[in-house]
Amino acid sequence: MEEEQVQSPGRLVLRNFLHNPLGMTGLIVFILIFAFVMIAPRFIVLDLSFQDNTQANVPPTMKLMEIPKELKGHVADIAPGTTFAVGVSDTGKVYTWGYTRITDTINLADIPEEVQQAKIVKVATGYDHIVALDENGGVYVWGNERLGQARLPQEIKGAMRKNENLKIKQIEAGYQFSAAVTEDGQLYLWGNSNMADLNLRREYEGQIEKVALTTYSYIALLKDGSVVYGGLQKNAFSDVPESAASGIVDISSTGSTVAAVDAEGNITVWGNMINGENEVPAMDSKPVKIYGGLNHYTALLENGDVITWGSETHDVCDVPASVHSKNIENIFSGFYQNYALTDEGEVETWGLRGYLFGTDDLGRDLLNRIANGGRVTMTVGAIAVIISLIIGIILGGVAGYFGGWIDMLIMRVAEVVGGLPFLPFAMILSAIIGTRISVEQRMYLIMIVLGVLSWPGTCRLIRAQILSQREQEFVIAAKAMGVKEGAIVFRHILPNVLSMILVTATLDFATCMLTESTLSYLGFGISAPTPTWGNMLTSANNSVVIQQFWWRWVFPATVFGICTVCINLVGDALRSAFDPKSMER
Amino acid sequence: MKKYIVKRIIYMIFVFLIVSVLMYLLYNLIPSDPARAELEGIKTTLRPAEYEQRYQNLREQMGLDDPILLRYARWMGFAPEKESGELHGMLQGYFGYSNFFKKDVTEVLPIRMKNTMIINLFVTFLALAITIPLGIFCAVRKNGKFDNAVQFMTIIGYSIPIYIIALVFIWLFAVKLRWLPVSGMETPGSNYQGMQAFLDRIYYLTLPVLIMTFASLGGMTRYVRTAMIDALGMDYIRTARAKGLREKVVIYSHAWRNALLPVVTVIIGWFITIFSGSVIIETTFTLNGMGQVYYLALRNSDYELALATQMFYCAVSLIGQLIMDLSYGLVDPRVRVDK
Repeated sequence: MEEEQVQSPGRLVLRNFLHNPLGMTGLIVFILIFAFVMIAPRFIVLDLSFQDNTQANVPPTMKLMEIPKELKGHVADIAPGTTFAVGVSDTGKVYTWGYTRITDTINLADIPEEVQQAKIVKVATGYDHIVALDENGGVYVWGNERLGQARLPQEIKGAMRKNENLKIKQIEAGYQFSAAVTEDGQLYLWGNSNMADLNLRREYEGQIEKVALTTYSYIALLKDGSVVYGGLQKNAFSDVPESAASGIVDISSTGSTVAAVDAEGNITVWGNMINGENEVPAMDSKPVKIYGGLNHYTALLENGDVITWGSETHDVCDVPASVHSKNIENIFSGFYQNYALTDEGEVETWGLRGYLFGTDDLGRDLLNRIANGGRVTMTVGAIAVIISLIIGIILGGVAGYFGGWIDMLIMRVAEVVGGLPFLPFAMILSAIIGTRISVEQRMYLIMIVLGVLSWPGTCRLIRAQILSQREQEFVIAAKAMGVKEGAIVFRHILPNVLSMILVTATLDFATCMLTESTLSYLGFGISAPTPTWGNMLTSANNSVVIQQFWWRWVFPATVFGICTVCINLVGDALRSAFDPKSMER
Repeated sequence: MKKYIVKRIIYMIFVFLIVSVLMYLLYNLIPSDPARAELEGIKTTLRPAEYEQRYQNLREQMGLDDPILLRYARWMGFAPEKESGELHGMLQGYFGYSNFFKKDVTEVLPIRMKNTMIINLFVTFLALAITIPLGIFCAVRKNGKFDNAVQFMTIIGYSIPIYIIALVFIWLFAVKLRWLPVSGMETPGSNYQGMQAFLDRIYYLTLPVLIMTFASLGGMTRYVRTAMIDALGMDYIRTARAKGLREKVVIYSHAWRNALLPVVTVIIGWFITIFSGSVIIETTFTLNGMGQVYYLALRNSDYELALATQMFYCAVSLIGQLIMDLSYGLVDPRVRVDK
């Protein structure tokens, strides 16, 4: 018979635990998830006020800017859209890519038959519609047409019917409206005029050189090199700055600002600057052309270099190094996408490539929300467990060691608290108090409620353990040596029940996370916009989301499920490691 | 034993009273003014002075300015109502008036309690029918492949929140396969009678029942398995085997009967909970049960209804505790609960 090596209990426990494959897997996976939710939020910062309707319900993809193979090397025009883009090849064929499904029924990739037949030369994209121009001056619109986006002006319609060519040289599209400029300086505007100012002052007729469309408005560059606001409204664009009154060579716009470049390369930006659109960086060469996305500008310099400024969202300003080293001929910029066409016909892209986990109904990145939500859920769970442990250990220790009326009192209190049905009680508390306090206070409230309501279990466990330890020889020895009672409880007895505490804490952690998420799921816990793994699933509770927007519940549910399963696996493994008797089971 | 029961019941009433005081105080933190609500309908027909007069009278009548403990006593039915001088509270069977349903609470709750009970009875029976044989089987072949798989599944079962299980089941059975409806209790607009109504009800309740059953499998299977393993480790099992009894007899006659003891108490405790519905499943499937009523009451600030439902939940859990404790002694004479 082999002689067994004597090991300390601690090492035995460790060995038992290390040899439990399920427990180890659980621990490793949990640590990975924990590290992810604690570290990732430092890099993908949560902006609670962020919402972006143009990015709502985008499925998981990283290919929003991936140009079709057939188009590569033959690009004539590209119009970037919200989550999609449309391009024209030099043979007049139209391609779409990215996420083109605007609504349940409208898919921008369904290019109308007449557009496929025609030889298209230019395209433009609005928020949810596409405008295309063919070589004969014919204009086509598809996508969302409900608000008059496809109701072409009489002149264009008439010319198309009579096969005349209006010589349109520029088409543009904004939010539910579109514009076309002809070579003889005419401007046609059509679409939903409820939101947008679709008027043109008579004095500018026949003088328009170029237009730039913001979300609801437009500015025009006249043939004499001055920039004007052509509409009738008074708004942020209608007061054109002095510096843009003459000598302008190019204009452009973002969603809420407009910009003009003059012949010397000076850039003037005006409008509602909220993303630093006016903070034009220093340039080592003269800008000749300017392009606008939704919140950023891109300028093409005389030496073929590219420079960007404005919002940092979705990396729209991170121009890849390869662009700087190449000679750029043209840039197509729009919303969050940028395409740069080199003199060799290659296309370089930067901006919003997509979302690994998709987006939710308010256009928020799910990866971001899962990481930040996980941090909230885990923090709440951990603090709740710590509160419940502290109360449970102190009360259980006192009750178990001293017994008598203290024990009686504590156990009765524990039973009253334990007698409160947990979920309903927590719901009441947060319904009553929760409405009057801020989001952050509400988070603390949930932690405290969870902790204060879940201690009786721990308390009873500790008490039972201490009752059995109290009669052991080492306690009697300590008493005989005159050790103070408090020290006996917390320094001599407690370490012996530490294993029990560790197991309880682990399992309670999972329970607290579950309870928090359940409360949040029901709308009584931490409420939006603060994400938690529970309230991310609240909006998923209908059949449309379950089927069509599966990524909105599959990813949070999976991460959360794996996390709680892992914690329970670790707890189970710990228990059997501490308790050799259970190994026989 | 009798002394113990009496002691427990007295103690239970004591806990119930404390909880009810706590609850009442808690609900009184909510700013609300029943007197103003009462006058809201005729507000426009009165002159301001007259309105103020009526309002003050009403407050006086309703006793809103009395000390909170007196109001609590009235609500519980310990003290007479100010107006009628009669006892009219919880103890007399008056649970308050629901603002949301515009009915007395006693009229709102029975039908919902019935629905909840039907659902939970199905769930309990289904769960027992699955978990007991499964637990026994796993115990007999413990640490086998099948047992390990089941062990792992049960951990998953009790780790994953029920609403995630619900989402997966809805996706599978209602959205993908289209076998079962997504929510509701009966076909809207239908007026079925007899057998047809019954089948319709079954059609709508299958999915929630399935989900609740699935969610409760984990804990029970583990419990049965542990009890069975303990029983199988006893000396009398070795004796029975040594006698040459068939394995079937050993397992079902000797081991299972002894393993039953701890299981029975849990089952009894389980049966008590059939009265309190699952808040999550009932709101997810818009089932007309206790859980949903509680949710609706809280969501719509219908606090008299919420308070009554809460007290009901509390009573159920206390009675369940008591019966569970007593049943330890009843099923196993060796256990003396009064010690």
